[in-house]
Amino acid sequence: MPVSSEHVSDLLPEYAESGLRPAGEVEEHLASCAACTAELGTYRSLLSSLVALRAVEVEPPAGYLDRTLRTARLASITSRIPSLAYLRRVSTRGTRILAQTPRAGYALASLGGAAVGATAIALVWWRIARRDAVATAVNS
Amino acid sequence: MVSPELLAACRRGDRRAFEELVRLSHRRVYSLAYRLVGDRSDAGDVAQEAYLRMYRGLAGFREEARFETWMYRIVMNCAMTVLKKRGRFGLLVSDQELDVPVPDRAAERAVDRDELERALALLPEGQRVAVLLKDVYGLSVREISEELGIEEGAVKVRLHRARKRLAESLSTGDDRAGEL
Repeated sequence: MPVSSEHVSDLLPEYAESGLRPAGEVEEHLASCAACTAELGTYRSLLSSLVALRAVEVEPPAGYLDRTLRTARLASITSRIPSLAYLRRVSTRGTRILAQTPRAGYALASLGGAAVGATAIALVWWRIARRDAVATAVNS
Repeated sequence: MVSPELLAACRRGDRRAFEELVRLSHRRVYSLAYRLVGDRSDAGDVAQEAYLRMYRGLAGFREEARFETWMYRIVMNCAMTVLKKRGRFGLLVSDQELDVPVPDRAAERAVDRDELERALALLPEGQRVAVLLKDVYGLSVREISEELGIEEGAVKVRLHRARKRLAESLSTGDDRAGEL
């Protein structure tokens, strides 16, 4: 049976989109079928109502804007803190460089050793200074 | 409307510019979030998460003319996360039909806005997401299929079913659609 003599209801939800026009046998059928033409009108009306819905804004709850602005501020602060993924990437890269260049490893080990030594000296110095201060206080 | 100048300032990391962008867009973002997840509290969370993602993504965003579409895609993506957490993503992926009877057709009436919102809320989630993003917010079938991770053909099937169901719901003369 040719399309023109059958109802074309199933094709209409797509044809109703703007820019799409019924063609060939579908158009032929619509020209002679009031029911399908009316149904096409219903879909077009539905689609234009759906488009219009975009401009209709749902009223947000009280305090929503303030909360969202706080989120925006938080986003700007946290964006300056390196993420864990970034730190992991840097650490992996550093490990790879050390593995490839032993001299860089020796340099880093020397720096680490110097830092540990400096910390130990500072601690001893601080304890002696503290002991002297306590002795002075007791004597006076 | 968000201007290219404002977007450029946001991309440079200007905090005040981003706050201005939030002021200009927060109602639209909330409206889409609410229509997608159907719950006020969840819609608020979706909006917050969407702005965090927008802030991080703006530095690499170059298509000023497509800002709205980009923003809607981010909101949609965040909404999908909420729907997945609710354990209802199966409905989104499979487009499983809910056991909701479709009202009989009756005389045509003008489409009432509240009635349309109600009919949209009653659609199965997969259909509602498709029709909202395509017919209300103007995303392409390809963009929707990319975000949902399904074939374009599957998106078209959902659109077809959703439009049919909406047309049927809205053209009924009784109020059964509101009770379903």
